Order: sequence, then structure tokens, then C-alpha cells
Amino acid sequence: MAQEERRQAVERELTMSRAMVEGIAHEMREDDEVFYMGEDVADYGGIFDSTEGLLEEFGRDRVMDVPISETAYLGAAVGAAQEGMRPIAELMFVDFFGVAMDQIYNQLAKNTYMSGGAVNVPMVLTAAVGGTYNDAAQHSQTLYGTFAHLPGMKVVVPSTAYDAKGLMHNAIRDDDPVVYLFHKRLMGIGWLPAPDGPKTPVPEEEYTIPFGSADVKREGEDVTVVTLGLHVHRALEAADALAEDGIDAEVIDLRTLVPLDTETIRESVAKTGRLVVVDEDYQSYGVTGEIIASVAEGGLADLETVERVAVPDVPLPYARPMENEVVPDSEDIESAVRSAHDA
Amino acid sequence: MVAVSELREMFEDAVTARYYEERLQEEYLEGKQPAFDISAGPIPGELHLAAGQEAAAVGVCQHLRDDDTVTAPHRPHHVAIAKGVDLKRMTAEIFGRETGLSSGKGGHMHLFDPDAGFACSGIIAQGCPPAVGAGLAAKKRNEDSVAVAYLGEGAISQGAFLESLNLAAVQQLPVVFVIEDNDWAISMPKERVTDVADGSQRAGGFDMPGVRVDYDDATAVYDAARDAVGRARAGNGPTLLEVQVHRRMGHFMGDPESYRPDEDVAAAEQRDSIERLADELRNEDVPDDELETIREDARERVDEAIEWAKEQPEPDPDAAYEDVFVNPPSGVTSEEPSHELAGGDD
Amino acid sequence: MSGTDDRVAVAASDAWPEDVEEEEGVVVNWFTREGRHVEEGEAICEIQVEKVSVDVPAPADGELVAVERDEDDEISSGDVLAYVAPG
Repeated sequence: MAQEERRQAVERELTMSRAMVEGIAHEMREDDEVFYMGEDVADYGGIFDSTEGLLEEFGRDRVMDVPISETAYLGAAVGAAQEGMRPIAELMFVDFFGVAMDQIYNQLAKNTYMSGGAVNVPMVLTAAVGGTYNDAAQHSQTLYGTFAHLPGMKVVVPSTAYDAKGLMHNAIRDDDPVVYLFHKRLMGIGWLPAPDGPKTPVPEEEYTIPFGSADVKREGEDVTVVTLGLHVHRALEAADALAEDGIDAEVIDLRTLVPLDTETIRESVAKTGRLVVVDEDYQSYGVTGEIIASVAEGGLADLETVERVAVPDVPLPYARPMENEVVPDSEDIESAVRSAHDA
Repeated sequence: MVAVSELREMFEDAVTARYYEERLQEEYLEGKQPAFDISAGPIPGELHLAAGQEAAAVGVCQHLRDDDTVTAPHRPHHVAIAKGVDLKRMTAEIFGRETGLSSGKGGHMHLFDPDAGFACSGIIAQGCPPAVGAGLAAKKRNEDSVAVAYLGEGAISQGAFLESLNLAAVQQLPVVFVIEDNDWAISMPKERVTDVADGSQRAGGFDMPGVRVDYDDATAVYDAARDAVGRARAGNGPTLLEVQVHRRMGHFMGDPESYRPDEDVAAAEQRDSIERLADELRNEDVPDDELETIREDARERVDEAIEWAKEQPEPDPDAAYEDVFVNPPSGVTSEEPSHELAGGDD
Repeated sequence: MSGTDDRVAVAASDAWPEDVEEEEGVVVNWFTREGRHVEEGEAICEIQVEKVSVDVPAPADGELVAVERDEDDEISSGDVLAYVAPG
């Protein structure tokens, strides 16, 4: 057929939310045991569009609205997973993890180990993360460090539509618990405009992106910038500005925190000698410290200078001037790269 | 029978609260059209308005003093107004100004006014344990102040609520739990998330009285609350009230409510607790022009608060680093421990 | 036969949400760029009117040519968002 043979000169592009949903829908078609549970995921399609369109195709049995009972329904997902099903359970905001943390860090994360591998928990815990839209202290966190720090959970943080779909296929197929953190501002929601960048061409067919594979989003010779989520795009913006001054930044998108691709980071630092880590989580005891430590452990000799750019150890403030102050922007990243370059 | 003076005050608070929400809606939408960008305009972020739910606020708070403590959820303004929160400083906080109640750090979901005994917070049902704590403090100090925890009907599914009922009951604490049942937890209708239509029935399971009050009836709320608050003050323990109300606007500003049947929205518009209060006042021979004066004064007060708030300065960005602690640690200290160990070279 | 007569307009009004009185909106997302072959009914862009987001379907099979309204552009209900050259 002429149409099928026609090679598309231009690919279709998807927002990150649509790419995620496409991945989920495919897996749900392939396997009856995959189902999605969360608050407002049915008719509403997810507050951040995480399940938009799924109810129409799969019905309420498989796209389940649940009461505001995170302990009960996240724990129920753990139990169903231990029976061999493949639930995807959603925390509307990652900040709500607090009310259900036992089910997360003591059950979901530890049952495999505590049983010596006799049981496993093949579920995905999705959660919306991130600030920059004035939702204040209890609705703006990323908490990357918290989930990466506690043993037993794989942690995935996509920054583009292409990555999101591949990582989602992998997450659902993984026999271990995967915490899949999607940034609200990358989803492509009308009322929360995304930067240029997360909307990318996305293959129609299924594909997987392995965990533990960081992605060099921009090659460069002078400074290594390691980051994730929204700040991949802020770093790329900074890199464009820096290029005009002849500073060539390499931007590495971690894509997964657990497992962490230390090799790609070390290779880059071996080339540049200068490491800048950018994180939208609180600075102390988190991602920036971990990246720097892992590079220092494996390649201290290569490391000439280090900068970290993160949210300071304060709760996220509501008012615009204060939130803008504490959440790193591309100018903050630029400034850190210049510091590293000039050091 | 509710005294006319009480009716009048409740009516005043209710019209103030209604007008406040309507004005905030206007202010909020400014700068957000035609493209609805949530972080644009004078009030960025989320906004959850309580138009239609006034009965639950005024009927209960009419019995409360400044030293009574109220906790409220993410839809707090009507309760704050009824409790006597500083309206200007609350408004400045909602507009993110330096002179707001929280210096701009909290915003509309995190309003704290200790002088008025009011706090609200954004995580569902998590206002219940602190209210229980305020009741605990009152009991320990042999005071007769009471605590009131407001929550939505969606919140009754949350562990913190159930634990709070139990703790308040077994410790006989002076707490009143007020469920505002507006039928919708964002897009989830009540019958999809709970099998128990009458939430007040849960009270029996915790050995406390439970009372359900019909839609939008402020005087019925007043009657039920008088008993509940009275019980608590007398040291006879907690009560659970469930008050049916109508949510006239969406869950949050920007919510297209496409999940909500038109009949439901129409019903919300027809039953208006404020009009019922007005009728009760008329039955007590309060003339219409007096009612109109109350309305006008309320509008003036709200307009004044909003104008004042908009004139307030924005916070300095560096203020973001303050108030993590009241006693910020200074890092490395040269202080020695106050206790000297016995020396080794005696 | 060539020229613009063959082109099918992608009209904002075809997707405009029903219950909404508002006549102004914004283009939120394009899912494809000029030069792509699209299928009739395929979601090619997303517009937002007040708080409602809707997908705009391709009106015919063909090549997407001439995008008239870009992302973040404000639109009216009578606008043409793009054209599809059938084929």
C-alpha cells in the first residue's frame, strides 16, 4: 500500500503526557493484569493528564478512581503486585507520599529483600513532581533524593516525551518496584506551559529505554552539567547562552537515579574536569552530593572543580519573588558553569 | 430558636465570605485569559473557593472564641472569615505580599493566624491531628477552650481522620470534627469513594455522637454546633458533625468541571444558604434595607481588604531563607557544652 | 490542478468546545510540523479555550501545509489553524 510505504519525512510529536499514556495504553492492551489506580484518574484523566483517554478505552475496572486513602490503595497495589498483577498506582502529588510512606519504603521497597527474593513487587508508583507555578511548600517538591536514598526502589525521571514512553514501557515490564516521577511542567498541560524541549518525536511502536542509561543531551568539551527532569531543559537553555561566549557545556540527563549511570558521568568529567550538578530537590543530603561523591570515588584525579545548584534547605515559598529565588533557573546554571569554567 | 443577633452575625459573615470568594475569583482570573496559565496574574498558583459552603462555617464559628482553635483544609476562606481572621493580612497573604499572615510564604492554602486561633493546610485530613492536639493542650491546662477540625467528605477516607476520631474519643478531648460534604472530591463523587452515605454514622464506631445537617441550613448547623461545642467545653468529649453544602464553583479555579452533571451545578445554584438566612431574618421582622446595609458593609470591607492587599510590597527574594527555624543554627559554634566532664589529669 | 483551492482548512471552529461561550483561545500544542502526512481524524494540535483543552483533528488525509497559528498564539473561534493538502 502506498500509504504504508510512504516514509514520513516529518514525524509526529507528542507531549510528555501523551507519550506516557501511549506507553501505558500499549502495555494495558498487551496484558490484562496491568491496571491503573489513583485519585481522579478515571473521568478527569489525571490532574496532570497522566491517564487522559484511558478510561474510554479500558473502563473503570482497569482505570480506577480510588478514595483519598493513599496508605490503603498504594498498599493494595503492593499486595496485588505480590499476587502477580502489574498495577500502576499514582500519587497525585509526590508530596502526598508522607501519608503512605510505610507502604512505600517498608513494604513496596523491602518485601523482596525481606523475603529473600521469594516474593517480588512488579508495580509502578507514578507521581507528579515539581514546582515553578506557585503551589507552595506542600505541593511543589520533587523529593528525588528521598526516593533514591531508600533501598529497594528503582527511580525514573524522564525529561522528554521520547524518554518518557520508553522508560514507561520498561517500568511496567520491570519485575521490581519502579517509582516514576513526572514533572508537572514537562507534561504539556495548557494551564502549565512547558518549555521547548519535552515535546519530541515519539515512535508509534513500542520501545524500551534501559534503566541506568544517562543520555548526553548536548555534547560539549568544557564543562559537564549533570541534571534531570525540568532542569535538563533549563541547562540546555543555559548551554545555548554560554555557547555565545565560547563555553561549551555538556549536558547529561540522568533519566534514572536508581540505577545511576555513573560511567557516563565519569567519562564526561574525564574529558572536561569540571562538574556542575543541578537538582530541583533540597541541596543537603541529596542528588547533588551523591553525584559528586560517586565521581570523586571513581575519578578523583579527573575532578578539578565542582559546583552544585539546587534548591536550598528551605520549604518552597508561595510568593513569586521567593519561589523564583530558591528554584534554580537557567541563569543560575549559567553562573555556576562560568564559575566552574573560570576556576 | 436562634437569637436575632446571632442570625445577623451569621448573615454578615456569610455574605462577607460569599462576596470575598467572588472578588477573589475575579482577581485570580485576571492575567490568566485567554490562555489560562496558572502561574500568571496577581494570584498565582492554585485557588480553592468556598462559595456555597458558608453555612458550615458560620453555624459553627458563631459559638467559638478567639482562644478556640480551628484547623481548615485547602478551601479555607469562609471558615477564616467566620473565625475572625485578620481579613487584610489574609488577603495580602493570598496575593503573596510581605505583610501577609505568613509574609508571603504560605499562600492561600497555608494561612496561619494564631491570634484568631486559625490555621489551614493543604494535605487532606492532616488538619485533624493538630486540632486534636489543641484539644489535648486545653485539657492538660484545665481550660475550657475547644478545637474544631474542618475536612471535606473526601477526607474521611484518610487514615489521619480516623486516627484523630479515635484519639479524641479515647482521651475525651474537646474537639468537634466538621465534615463539609459537598459531594465532590475534585471529580470523584461521594458514592464512588465511600459506601456510607451518611458520614456522621462513622461516629458511632468511635463512641462519639454524630449529627448530619441537611443542605445549606446555617441555623441547623448552629443548633448542632451549639450542642457539640457545649459538650466539648463541658469536658464531655468529641462530636462529629457532617454538614451538607453545595460547592458552587469548581474544585479549583481552572477546573472545567466537565465531570459534573449540569443538574448538579443547577442544584447548587438554587439552594443558597445565604438566602435562607435572609428569610429567617425577615421572619424575625428584620427589614430588607437592613439586610442590604449588611451586604453593602460586607462588600465595602472586602473591597477595602483587597485594595489594601494589592498595595502591599512584594517580599524580598532573600526573605525565602528566613523562618525555617525561629532559632536558626549558626553552623559551626564556639559554644562549649555547659557541663564539664571530670578531667583526666586530676 | 494545483494551487490553494485544493487545500482543506483546519478550522478552529471544528474543534471549539461546545458548552463554552468564549470566542478567544490559545494554541497549546502542535503534534506535527509542516510536511507531515496526516490521516483524517488524527489529532494534529491542541487548543485551549478558557480552561478546556481539546484536540483538533485533521479534516482529511493529506500533507499538513501552512501552519497559520503557532504554539502559544492566541486564536479566535473563526480562525484557520492550518491547511491540509489532500492526497
